[in-house]
Amino acid sequence: MIDGAPMLISTLLGAMDGVVLQTDEGLLPEGLNVSFKLVPSIIVIGMMLLFIVAGFMFKVADTDDMWVAGRSIGNLENGMAIGANWMSAATYLGVAATVAISGVYGLAYVVGWTTGYFILLIFMAAQMRRFGKYTAPDFVGDRFNSDTARALAAITTFLIGFVYALGQARGMGLVGMYILGDWSALTGGALSAYQTMMVVFMVITVAYLSLSGMLGATKNMVLQYVILIGAFLIGLVATGWSAGYTTILPQLEYGMMIDSLGAEFSAPFAGGSYYLWIATCFSLVFGTCGLPHVLVRFYTVKNERVARWSCTWGLFFISLLYLSAPAFAAIGTALYGNQIGAVYGDPGMTSAAGDVLVVLAAQLAELPAWFVGFVAAGGIAAAVATTAGLFIAASSAISHDIYATIINEDATQRQQVLVGRLSIILIGALTIVFALDPQQPIAALVGFAFSLAAIVLFPMFFLGLWWENTNRPGALAGMTTGIVVWFIPMLNEGNFGLIEGGLGIEAIATWMPAIGSALVGTPIVFAVTIAVSLVTSEPPLRTKQMVRQCHSPDPMPKDMTAADVVAEKNGNRPETPADD
Amino acid sequence: MTNEPHTTDEIRTDGGMSDVEREQQIDYMDVEINLLKPATPFMRDHLRVIWIGFGIWALTTFAPITMTRLAPDVMTTPIPMIGFPLHYFLLAIVGPGSALVLSVWYARKRDQIDEKYGIEQATVEPETTDTVPDDTTATDGGVEE
Repeated sequence: MIDGAPMLISTLLGAMDGVVLQTDEGLLPEGLNVSFKLVPSIIVIGMMLLFIVAGFMFKVADTDDMWVAGRSIGNLENGMAIGANWMSAATYLGVAATVAISGVYGLAYVVGWTTGYFILLIFMAAQMRRFGKYTAPDFVGDRFNSDTARALAAITTFLIGFVYALGQARGMGLVGMYILGDWSALTGGALSAYQTMMVVFMVITVAYLSLSGMLGATKNMVLQYVILIGAFLIGLVATGWSAGYTTILPQLEYGMMIDSLGAEFSAPFAGGSYYLWIATCFSLVFGTCGLPHVLVRFYTVKNERVARWSCTWGLFFISLLYLSAPAFAAIGTALYGNQIGAVYGDPGMTSAAGDVLVVLAAQLAELPAWFVGFVAAGGIAAAVATTAGLFIAASSAISHDIYATIINEDATQRQQVLVGRLSIILIGALTIVFALDPQQPIAALVGFAFSLAAIVLFPMFFLGLWWENTNRPGALAGMTTGIVVWFIPMLNEGNFGLIEGGLGIEAIATWMPAIGSALVGTPIVFAVTIAVSLVTSEPPLRTKQMVRQCHSPDPMPKDMTAADVVAEKNGNRPETPADD
Repeated sequence: MTNEPHTTDEIRTDGGMSDVEREQQIDYMDVEINLLKPATPFMRDHLRVIWIGFGIWALTTFAPITMTRLAPDVMTTPIPMIGFPLHYFLLAIVGPGSALVLSVWYARKRDQIDEKYGIEQATVEPETTDTVPDDTTATDGGVEE
């Protein structure tokens, strides 16, 4: 069963992001016609206007608001923002698709993408809040006293954000096209229908984001969460009800359907080996704990207690969708099997159909067009919210960590916010350009982004917070090793077209698949970081004290960082200059 | 949940001092942070909760799929009434659900520990820097090392 894994992975990753790697004609299955739909259009346009207005109302002028929402966000609000920030087009459209197509293996995504929040909660959320900087690279740079480490983390952050956003841009284009129809004529045929919609939605997202920064993004994420979860849950209940499969609690009722769905839906290891399941789940759990746009949500809250409870609320809000997605998959699979053809076997459900299974199921259940549009609109809200979080994290890596900390140390707030806005526009433009051509296997990168975060960033955060003797050489050695290790399966599988066709080494493909490479990679990075830290000199006392301050139970003022507290306790003596 | 032994720790003495009193003597600037060897009563209480939670999490996350690998027949038996095969139910519902329950448990436990040590988070009023350079500064700020 292991042999089939690599091929399976590529199919899955294609399916995962709600994005199809084909030309426009193949992007949507026949069942979903591309046309202008009045009421869904009003819903979507109204929704986007609402986002812009909310962004404008909370527009920002200083860096605190820009990057960490003035550290003003409360429990529920941050919990919803965590949920919206987290649940992307990949979640909204892709999880149900993955569960439908690859059965029990798909549940590795459900488990990995939810339970990781508990690890985040017990080991990192509150301590990160106490550390209290602006960005994830900030933590790495300050904790390990190294601008090189900061730059490595900033580049990784930027890569993760960019790569991940590509999938979101496609989700927007795809669903936008379904709702608004083909507007390519407006561009004189220069852009296809999908491209036109993708550009329109990306431009709107970038506009509101560069205006509003983190504060507006957080307010908007709350709105986006409500829309996306409402659309998903109401869509699920209505679909199940109208198709006659379930009543008011489809999340439990679909158990009765499982028997009739074909062995592939529930047979263990039909869609992926035991090892692949564990490796994938592991990567997703610890990738969650290393993703900069996730961690930064804990910088936005008032204090560490809010960090803890909002993490818990966040998991609750996320679970609502993840507990429902398999039910949607079951209902969608049944509807597809009854009305279109066999789901499994040859030809089986097309990946195009799988990718929009949530929308397709609503349509197959003969729900009215406006309602199907409403369900689709939830997908756009999910994509916009996640893009917002990713762009804020990536642009702060450029503006704050690279520009203000390394290039121009005397940058004024105005300059920083300006560079921040410019970098959001830059990332937006880059994303648009790279998302124009759906031929590239970019959707796969969402999964790779998790491996990257789990291998390179998670060990730095974890050891940095919990082992005060982790030092600069250790961190640099660990991160460098991590980047190298991450590339091994990439090269082996020929992802990014780095090596045409890949190296195809069997043992690596089996034991270190790119999607689950963290199971092997993360322990290696831990070992390297610890070993190098042990054989080199200990970090300075001031750094150790900063770590200790992160664990002290004494409450801290909301606008102070652990470094401020340490400096104050040491009598505000000038800090020893950073050593590089 | 609330009956765990450590809630009574407050009255247990150690060198003539309760945990809470010992904790108050401690300046976190001077204690080593060690995941395996907690240096203070607060850290000990906190880490106990963390490790218990982590252990249960590891089981609920990875045990169902492992058991399914080891005993596929038993694990795929349908559950009466709700119809789920056992492994599917454990993976799709119990896995995410128990992470959520554990999170609530942890957050409450941590609040209880805070309460035990008299830690209060400033939440209500938006603070300003000038009111807050706090007692810690007053007592040991400026002390020469």
